[in-house]
Formats: sequence, C-alpha cells, structure tokens
Amino acid sequence: MKNKTNFPSQEEEARPSRCPDNSAFKQQRLPAWKPQLNIVTVLSSFFLTGAFCLTVGVCLILSANSVREIQIDYSDKCSDCSKFRENSSNWNKECHCSVNFTLKEDILGDVFMYYGLQNFYQNHRRYMISRSDAQLLGRNVNIQRSYCAPFTTYKNGTPIAPCGAIANSMFNDTIDLFYNRNSSVVQVPLLKTGNSWWTDKNVKFRNPESYNLSSAFAGTARPPYWQKPVYLLDEGDERNTGYVNDDFIIWMRVSAFATFRNLYRRVRRIRHFADGLPAGNYTFRISYNFPVSKFKGRKHVILSTVVWSGGSNPFLGIAYVVSGTAATLAGFVITAIHLKLRKKKTYFQRQ
Amino acid sequence: TAVNIGYSCKMLTDDMTEVFVVTGHTVLEVREELRKAREKMMDASRSVGNGFSSKEKLSSSKLTSVLEAIAGEYALVINGHSLAHALEADMEVEFLETACACKAVICCRVTPLQKAQVVELVKKYKKGVTLAIGDGANDVNMIKTAHIGVGISGQEGIQAVLASDYSFSQFKFLQRLLLVHGRWSYLRMCKFLCYFFYKNFAFTMVHFWFGFFCGFSAQTVYDQYFITLYNIVYTSLPVLAMGVFDQDVPEQRSMEYPKLYEPGQLNLLFNKREFFICIAQGIYTSVLMFFIPYGVFADATRDDGAQLADYQSFAVTVATSLVIVVSVQIGLDTGFWTAINHFFIWGSLAAYFAILFTMHSDGLFRMFPNQFRFVGNAQNTLAQPTVWLTIALTTVVCIMPVVAFRFLKLDLKPELSDTVRYTQLVRKKQKTQHRCVRRTGRVGSRRSGYAFSHQEGFGELIMSGKNMRLSSLALSSFASRPSTSWIETLWKKKGSEGSGAGSPSGTADKTLKV
Repeated sequence: MKNKTNFPSQEEEARPSRCPDNSAFKQQRLPAWKPQLNIVTVLSSFFLTGAFCLTVGVCLILSANSVREIQIDYSDKCSDCSKFRENSSNWNKECHCSVNFTLKEDILGDVFMYYGLQNFYQNHRRYMISRSDAQLLGRNVNIQRSYCAPFTTYKNGTPIAPCGAIANSMFNDTIDLFYNRNSSVVQVPLLKTGNSWWTDKNVKFRNPESYNLSSAFAGTARPPYWQKPVYLLDEGDERNTGYVNDDFIIWMRVSAFATFRNLYRRVRRIRHFADGLPAGNYTFRISYNFPVSKFKGRKHVILSTVVWSGGSNPFLGIAYVVSGTAATLAGFVITAIHLKLRKKKTYFQRQ
Repeated sequence: TAVNIGYSCKMLTDDMTEVFVVTGHTVLEVREELRKAREKMMDASRSVGNGFSSKEKLSSSKLTSVLEAIAGEYALVINGHSLAHALEADMEVEFLETACACKAVICCRVTPLQKAQVVELVKKYKKGVTLAIGDGANDVNMIKTAHIGVGISGQEGIQAVLASDYSFSQFKFLQRLLLVHGRWSYLRMCKFLCYFFYKNFAFTMVHFWFGFFCGFSAQTVYDQYFITLYNIVYTSLPVLAMGVFDQDVPEQRSMEYPKLYEPGQLNLLFNKREFFICIAQGIYTSVLMFFIPYGVFADATRDDGAQLADYQSFAVTVATSLVIVVSVQIGLDTGFWTAINHFFIWGSLAAYFAILFTMHSDGLFRMFPNQFRFVGNAQNTLAQPTVWLTIALTTVVCIMPVVAFRFLKLDLKPELSDTVRYTQLVRKKQKTQHRCVRRTGRVGSRRSGYAFSHQEGFGELIMSGKNMRLSSLALSSFASRPSTSWIETLWKKKGSEGSGAGSPSGTADKTLKV
C-alpha cells in the first residue's frame, strides 16, 4: 500500500510518478456528512417516537376492542365423537355433534367463521416440506422426486393426488350454523368461496387440464386420510373443486405456529342476515371427522368480525403503548441525566 | 558520528540524564558496560526515592519493577561489535531490559542480520507490535522480521519496498501512516467486526427462538433465498463501505492530537468486553425480532378476514424487519457518510425489496414452482397495515436503546475523538472569526535536515522558527518503544513550545484540555 502523499514529488517528473492520484476518492477527502448525536436530535426523536407509539397503540387497542368475537372449544363438548374417532375402524361412519351458544347483541358487519386448532404443528420442517407445488399447478410431474414421501404412491403404484403430508392431513370437519328464529330453525347462509388469497387461487393452484375434471385426475387416487377424491371436494361448483378448492388452498397455506385459525366460511348477508348476525340462540352442527385427541390437540369454532388492523388480538396495541411509554420515559430520564450530570462541553481552542 | 546524528535528529537531547555508550569488544566488557548502565539508572531512581512512576501500562514487559520506575531519561548507543555479543542467548534479556529502560537506543554499524535480530528480540520478549522502517537492501531482513515493515522508496532502490508491508517515499510520512491511516484502519476494522457479529447473531438467533415453537424440527424462519442473499446482497455493501471510508476525525486533527492513537494501543475498541456487548445486542435484537411478530401473528387476520398468520407471511415480516433493523444500525454506526455510503445503504434496502418482489412474482413461480414457493406473498403480506406496524415497532424497540446508550456515553464520558469531533463542529461555526489565525506547519515540506558533527546547539538554532514538527522526528524512536509516556512528554513539549514561541493574533486563553 502506498502511503498517500499530499503533494506530488517534484523531483520525479522525469520518471513516471508512482504517486497515487490526487483525487478526492483516493486521498480520502470525499465530502461527507458527519452526523453526531446531540441532545436536540436525540430528545426530539425520543419524544416524537413516544408520541407516535402511544397514539398508534391507543388506536390499535380501541380497534381490537371493537371486534366482536365468539370462540367455542368443541373438542370437549363433542367428547363422545372424539372418542368415536379415536377408533380408526370407524373412519367411514359419521358422527355429529351440536354446540349451542347465545348472542346477546347483534353482530353488525361482515361476520367470519373460522375453525381453530391448538397444538397442531403445521410448522414442523418435515411436514412443511411434504408437498409438490408442481403437481398442485396441475402439471404432470414425477412426484417421486418430490418430498411427499410417504404419501407419494400407494403400494400398487397409483400416485396420490394431491401428494404429501399437508394435503393428507386436511381439516375435514363440516360446520354448519343454525339460527333459532321464532321457534323455527334457519340455516345461516354461508359463503365457501372467496376466502383464499387471489394469488393462491389463480396462480399457485391450478387444476390439470382436460375435458372434464374426473378425467383430468384419472390414474390418481385420493390421499389415504381423505374420504373423497380431490375432484369431488365441492361437487356443486366447478371453480371450487380439485386443487383450487378454497378449503384445500387455505389448509395448504400452512400456519406459522401450533395454535392457529383458518377462515372457513363467511356469513352471506342476505335475508335475515343482511346486517350481520342478529341476537338470539344459535347452534353449530358439526360433522366431526378430524381426530385431535391423540396429540392432545383442541378444536375451536370462532365467529368474528374484522377491522383494519385484523382481528381481536390486542398484542400489538399493548406493545405500542408500552414502547411509547418507555420512549417518553427514556426521553425524560435522558433530559434529567443530561442536565444534571454532563460535563461542561470541552473543546480545543485554536493554538 | 552516530551520536552526533542522534543529537541532530533529536533522538538524543541535552536534557537527557545520561547517554550510555557500549563499545566493548568482548562479552565480558559488554556485560560490564550494560550492568554499569543499569546500576546508574537504578541508583538515580533510588536517590529520587522512587517517586516517579512512568505509565508503562502498555507494554506488559518483563522489566523489573525497579527499572520501570527509573527517573530521568537515558539513551543507549551500541555499535555492531558489542551488539553481536549483547545478542548472545545468555545476555539478550539483560540487553533488552537495559535498552527498554532507555528512552532511545541507537545501534550503529550493525549488519543487516543484527538489525533483524534486534527486532526479533523485541518481538520475542515484549508483548507489543514492532514496526521497522528502512530504505535499503540491508534493511530487508529487519523489515521482514518486524510485525509491520515499512520501506522507503527512494535513493537506494526499491528492495526495501518490495519486502515491506507499507512503503512511501519520505521518512516523515511514517507519522501519517501511524496517526492517520493506522488509526483509521483500526477504527474501521473494529466497527466492521462489531457490526458483523451483531448482524449475524440477530439473523441466526431467531431460529433458536423459533425452535421452541416448531417442535425443534430445525425449520428455518426465513425463505431459503433470503438466507442465501442476506449476507451477500442485503447487508454486505453498507458495512464494506463503512469499513473503507469511515473516519472519526479528519486527518488534520489526527495529526494534531496524537493522543487519539491511544485506543489502538490499549486495544479499547474491540476486546472481550466489546465483543460480548455486540453479541448481547445481537441476541436482544433477535429476541425482539422474533417475539414481537410472534405476539402479533399468534392470532392475526388480514383486514378482509383472510389468512395472515401463515408461515410465509411470518417469514416475510421477520425478514423485512431484520433487514430494516440492521440497515438502521449500520446507519447509526457509520460516522462518515460519503455518497458511496448513501448509495450502498439505500441501495441495499431497495435491492431487498426489489428481489423480494421478484422472487414472489408469478413469472418465476411458473418457471420453477418447487423453488419459488413464496408466490404472491410479498404483495399480499406487505399490503397489510398490521405487518408494517409490526415492522415499525420492532425497529423502534431495537434501535432506541442503542441510541440512548450511545448518546449517554457521548454525553457523560466522551472519548477524545468525540471531543475532537465536537471541536470540529464548533470550529466550523466560528470559521469566519478565526480565519486570521494561521496554523503553522502546513506550508510545504521545505524543511531542512542538517546533521552537524557538533553539539546539538546548532541544530536547534536552525530548526527553531522553521516548521519542523517535533512529533515527526521523535517518532523515529517510536518503533522500539510504544508507550504513552513519550507522547505525553511530546505533548507537554509542544504545549510549552507553543506558549513559549508566542501566539500570533487570536484568542487570549489557551485552554488545552487533553
């Protein structure tokens, strides 16, 4: 490394000079902004941040509180069904269960129905990797080369469509909601499409092309835990069956943690439910298929409204309020320390 | 002649208590002379009453405690013959101790091998860093042996240059090498290291926390491409720019205040304590980076009711907040923002978002569906206000304590470099008022170096009034003895000279707080 000289050597003009260029870049004289933490900047940033965080926190808490939510754990209430399901020879027998609840006040606005699972680790590495996105695009791929094992083919060589552990373990309870109105029971109309992300429904999942759906899936078999093959997931709606079934798509978008909820249905705002859910007695009728007792899981059904900040989770609001308070307090503490304990700012005079 | 040259270049001064000359021809004579020198030094210190203690904290030398507490300044002159005897195995420690107790040591008429042997001796027994500077082919050995070899390219050809670590054309540039470039280099290296450990700990420890929530199945929190590109694309350039361009104090100030060199000698900027602080900061960041999104995503939905708490959204949120937090941190660390720093920092952030949206796009997914599984995520997740509020909160909570600590440290216990920076700021504001005060010492390099074989007085006569800086000359003795004592002596001398020579117009009070 040649040291940087400030002046070119005059004696060496005869020979080519070995001096490095006298440019700002090479002589490290680039113009630069040299920020320094001073009291004004620091204090103003702390107080502004504190104010911002407090405001946002309060807004978030208020909006989270405005969400109406009813959460019912039905794995306890349907205990005889769960015991029934522990015996795997009962796989093709149905088991129904009813859960009642009462709404004291109307729920106004859009109401969403979720199913919730607890202690179900969709974020396990081996589980998450067990899928074939190419197959779910409807392409004719060799799923042996994917990570779907052991849910790739049956013993007789028939490929499983869709392959993998995620698809195989799909949530298959059927939940219906009934409203007791004037001594008659009305089924609440629910929407089963429009619940998934647009990109999922239209880009990530595509059915294989053929003149009809059952021939598209010819030569494949349903996953071992399923009762129906994939093209019969929703016989009424061509655009919601096969791989592009909303429930299937939502399940395949695995959750981040062991306790999660997935959107199941939305209340269709027609007839009596045009404004939401009126007050009264309701019943969930559940066709209990998904066994959770073996891994000590629990199942919930949740009815909830949403706001701009999502659901009823107050965590972010509380966290903002706490950090806003901490920032403001820190600002005061720093001011106090600065005023009391600082040394007189020393600097060097020119000689 | 060596003694005269020593006087002329101010390695030896009249103020020195004694100059020992070792010219013995046999082992015994040399040993005797060294022993006499040591006794004289010890006697002097005993007579003073061991009242003077020099701050020899720097070199954890094997000097005896008595020799450490010598009073007065001594110099040792030894010629090639005697050195050959002094460097023998049984006498070398003695020689070294005697030499290190002296302020300056001049070895004259030595062979190249002996030069290297002296350097090696110092290296072996003293826990310091040695620097050897030379200009001829006979210095090559010494240059190679020392930790840092400096070659002067000039009259005697480029042999020394080829063997050296650094080279320049004039002896006096050694001062710049040490005080400006060496110091900057140390500062940059330490900042770079600290930041590197911090950002990697923040990045990796998130997986440790996630392990508790994913059944310890070693599931990564981030997308695999993010993991690949994090250290290469998203966070590499800003820290490189800081490592190349950072300057805490401009070069003129570095030369003006040699005491700024002290943190490098004392290993203050990156030692075990600093390392653990970096690590702790990284772990603290990783805790917040994981648990704040965890708290939010444990029970979150989009504003249209659809899914938000899925794994891929969580991954995108944590990855984005990580990149933003470490970018803000490098912004805080960088003290010298050139245009290149701006470009790298903002560019890295922009590159992150560009690459994110590209990899989550439909086109790439259609080409490689099994590789780019995150299709649609960026647009869906980053359109949610909850996600941005989470990222903002994480940034605030990670960065605010750092700002608070740094500011309080700056306010309550400013380092010399902070004071100098503040001075720079103040001076800029007062620039117009102080324009008339001309700094001596920057007018060209037309200094004259004369060596007379007379007493020192003539040299003084010629030197005074010229812009010959005291510090640049005494530095030539610096190589064998890195310590603060000489710097302080230097500083005092400069101060006294400054006030003695009288000040040109300007301020009345000369506050020189060091």
